[in-house]
Amino acid sequence: MSENQVNLLQGTLDLLILKALGQGELHGLGISRRIEQITQGTFQVKPGSLFPALHRMEEAGWLSSFWGESENNRRAKYYRRTKAGERQLGVETDQWTKVALAMANALKAT
Amino acid sequence: MSLGKRIRSGIRNLIRKKQLESQLDEEIRTYVDMLTEEKVAAGASSAEARRISLVNVGGVEQVKQAVREQRTGIRLEIFWQSFCYALRQLRKNPGFAITAILTLAIGIGATTAIFSLVYAVLLRPLPFPQSDRLVWLSQQDHSLPGVVMEPLSYPDYFDWRAQSHSFSGLASYDGGGVTVQRDGESQRLDAGMVSSNFFRVLGVAPILGRDFRWEEEKAGNRAVILSYAIWQNEFGAAKNIVGQSITLNDQSYIVAGVMPESFRYPFGRKGAELWLSLAGEGSGADSSISQRGNDHLDVIGRLKPDVTLDQAKAELDVIATGIARRYPDTNKWYTSVLAHTLLDHTVGDTRPALRVLFGSVALMLLLACANIAGLLMARGSQRSAEFALRSAVGAGRSALIRLLLVESVTLSLCGGVAGIIVAPVLLKVLIYLVPVTIPRIYQVSVNGMVLAFALIVSIVTGLLFGLLPAWQGSKVAPSQALREGSRTLRLGRWQQKLQSGLVIAQTMIGLVLLVGSGLLIRSFIQVLHVDPGFDTRNVYTARLRVPFDRYSHDQHFQFYEQLLAKIRVLPGVQSASADWPLPLSNSRASVSFAIAGRPLAPGDRPSETVSVVMPDAFETLRIPLLSGRTFTERDGLQGSPVAIVNQAFARKYFPGNNPIGQHIVPGLGDDSRFDHSSREIVGVVGDVKRSGLTAEVDPEYYLPYAQAVITDPYLTVRTNGDPSTIDGEIRAAVREIDKGVPVYQVQMLEDYVSQSEAQPRFEAVIISSFAGVALLLSAIGLYGLLSYSVTQRASEIGLRMAIGAQRMNVLSMILVRGLKLAGIGFVGGIVASVFLTSLLTHMLYHVQPLDPFTFSVVGAVLLSVSVLASFAPAWRASRLDPTRTLRDQ
Repeated sequence: MSENQVNLLQGTLDLLILKALGQGELHGLGISRRIEQITQGTFQVKPGSLFPALHRMEEAGWLSSFWGESENNRRAKYYRRTKAGERQLGVETDQWTKVALAMANALKAT
Repeated sequence: MSLGKRIRSGIRNLIRKKQLESQLDEEIRTYVDMLTEEKVAAGASSAEARRISLVNVGGVEQVKQAVREQRTGIRLEIFWQSFCYALRQLRKNPGFAITAILTLAIGIGATTAIFSLVYAVLLRPLPFPQSDRLVWLSQQDHSLPGVVMEPLSYPDYFDWRAQSHSFSGLASYDGGGVTVQRDGESQRLDAGMVSSNFFRVLGVAPILGRDFRWEEEKAGNRAVILSYAIWQNEFGAAKNIVGQSITLNDQSYIVAGVMPESFRYPFGRKGAELWLSLAGEGSGADSSISQRGNDHLDVIGRLKPDVTLDQAKAELDVIATGIARRYPDTNKWYTSVLAHTLLDHTVGDTRPALRVLFGSVALMLLLACANIAGLLMARGSQRSAEFALRSAVGAGRSALIRLLLVESVTLSLCGGVAGIIVAPVLLKVLIYLVPVTIPRIYQVSVNGMVLAFALIVSIVTGLLFGLLPAWQGSKVAPSQALREGSRTLRLGRWQQKLQSGLVIAQTMIGLVLLVGSGLLIRSFIQVLHVDPGFDTRNVYTARLRVPFDRYSHDQHFQFYEQLLAKIRVLPGVQSASADWPLPLSNSRASVSFAIAGRPLAPGDRPSETVSVVMPDAFETLRIPLLSGRTFTERDGLQGSPVAIVNQAFARKYFPGNNPIGQHIVPGLGDDSRFDHSSREIVGVVGDVKRSGLTAEVDPEYYLPYAQAVITDPYLTVRTNGDPSTIDGEIRAAVREIDKGVPVYQVQMLEDYVSQSEAQPRFEAVIISSFAGVALLLSAIGLYGLLSYSVTQRASEIGLRMAIGAQRMNVLSMILVRGLKLAGIGFVGGIVASVFLTSLLTHMLYHVQPLDPFTFSVVGAVLLSVSVLASFAPAWRASRLDPTRTLRDQ
């Protein structure tokens, strides 16, 4: 499963990023690793998808960024969730739950 | 994201572009570095780790591009880059750029110019509130064929006003003049005599003072309302002007108010300078207020909110019929009413011509677009390598199309800018040439509406001619195109046919227009040689205003008698007289008459043009006397009633007989200014072209001024040298007799004639301009087509030359190809001309629509232009180096 590239819809990726950040701050690679972690390896987000999403969400105001030092004293760009981002997380979570429920019901029926 | 946020983001991205780019670069590289570190930590060598990381990441540039592509404002940025690129391309190809931009400048400039004309004249609403409710009314004269508008008389107007319920107000207007004293000299001002509700009906109130009151229509009231211009210029914009008295026509008038600056009526170059109530018409011996047969009023009404034009007309028809029944002597034939909206009446006549003009110009623009599309496609095939490269590095088809469209719109915008510069020049020339009768034309300007139009037209034009080349150019097969030096992209069969067809069509149109142009030019030259029936050189004319309230009819005549005696002895004067109306001056009157011995009921009598003349009138204008005698001193106040007729009159009413000695009785029932004596015809004179150089000659009769003082005549003075030098002396002569008589409308007789020539001149110039443009376009089209074809067939031509064809053969091959296309267009055009020139018949004067001389000249012109256009590509073909072309296979 870790080799498979599962196509992530834009909204899903946003949701994962917002969730992965939690209350803390992470740089790009860190976010990618964290998403891998919380989805138990199902989603490995390539930078070609990750960075456009991060920049888009920052422009939309859901993330804020700053330059800080990484573990190996490297200058890196860190992201954190904003209040608006938290609200968005709630909105997207609700939406996803609805969709998942509907799908589950649809697939259960014979 | 909301729009506001998006805009702010976009601006931020633009401003901090450099910073954003470097940060992005750093961010991605850091990612790669960190990934590499991970792998190294897991045991890989640093080189291997780096390689795998990069593969994993997919390439730093690609990631950065992915981020850029979703950035707000990226579209705009791409547009801007494409735009700059397009400009650079144009600069690299100046020949093509100049040709295309010039073509577009003419096309867009002409379209814009005509549009601003159309807007100012036809589309712009009249400057009155709810101007679509304003209606122009007149009676229809059913005694004449066709639709003939007859103005109203005062009694008719008052009846309409009293009996009609369709209007919230019905107003009358009569144009005239008043005399004021200025700097010791008398001058005449244009004035309007109006009903008291005139300004209320139009919907404009004075900015100072008050409007007219109802009671002021009664005789003896002397209120005047000033125009803004005259208040500024004559009265120094005095704030206390209201209530002051001014002297007009030697009488004291009280200024009641001043109209706003924007108000102008009538709509000519200058409106009236002041307005009097119609009480002004009621004074003196000729009160026209009570004469039902004296038709000279303009009537304007404002429809009530719930009444339509047709309903109002229907109601007025009934009223008019009632009046006709009650007063058959004067109104027998005026049984129905003509009603138009005021805008319609003012500009309606010009609508068909302006439509045709606009359509033609738009057609020219379309042809220009087609031409440029052809040129672009030719260029596109030469750029196929460039497109292939772009496609190879990732540009999708839509991206290529977008780029090419931006290029074509950039080109057309450049053309549009040039066109906006050209348009006012074209307008000036147009307005200078136009026969002066188009209303509202003086307010033409290149304003915001027109500029917006130009912009839209430019963009649409660019998209129009860019579409096909863009679609064509984006269709690349990279592998084939990138092969060294190859010239790919043949146009398909149908596209070649399309281009050929286009060239043929343009040639046809060019030919038809050239034929039309030739015919109209010949016609215009004919008009210039028309004999107007009198000698137009060296004649000074002017009008005077001898007030009827100070001079009786007899005294009027004596005034002119005295004046002419003074003028005749001035140095440089050959002869002098006075007559009304002046030929070619756009004024005429017709009065019905009876012929002695042929009794008819008053309503059925014939009516012909009448002129009144002082002695020597025919001699001064050099109208030939054909038999009998002209008027002399003995046809003065004491003389027996006489008349003179022209040849057309004699032929019509006394065919085969001698009219001299016969009697006619003019003016019965029409106008009490005529005494109803039976007049003996004492002479027959030559016909003159009274209403226009190309118009038919009408029968007319002349009466001696002494016996029929109807209005102030035109002074006519024939001089030895330049007639304009005599103005000062004439004015002095008038002043010597009476200081209160103004001299105005001074114009040389020749100017009246050239105004009459204005229409055919205008038509000739317009069609010739179109013909020139069409010819230019077809030449460019032919050139473009042949150029492209030479490029395409370069290898074939090289082959021919390699196996023995001479340069001359190649040259003639291409030339023949060009001439063949032009030839087809020529034949098609001739056929079309044969049919279409019949449309011009009413505009042609003494020229046959199928004039062989014109056709042959036109053919020769077209032939030479085609040869010229084909020559350059043919020359280029003959200069091809066979070794190079064959190698470039």
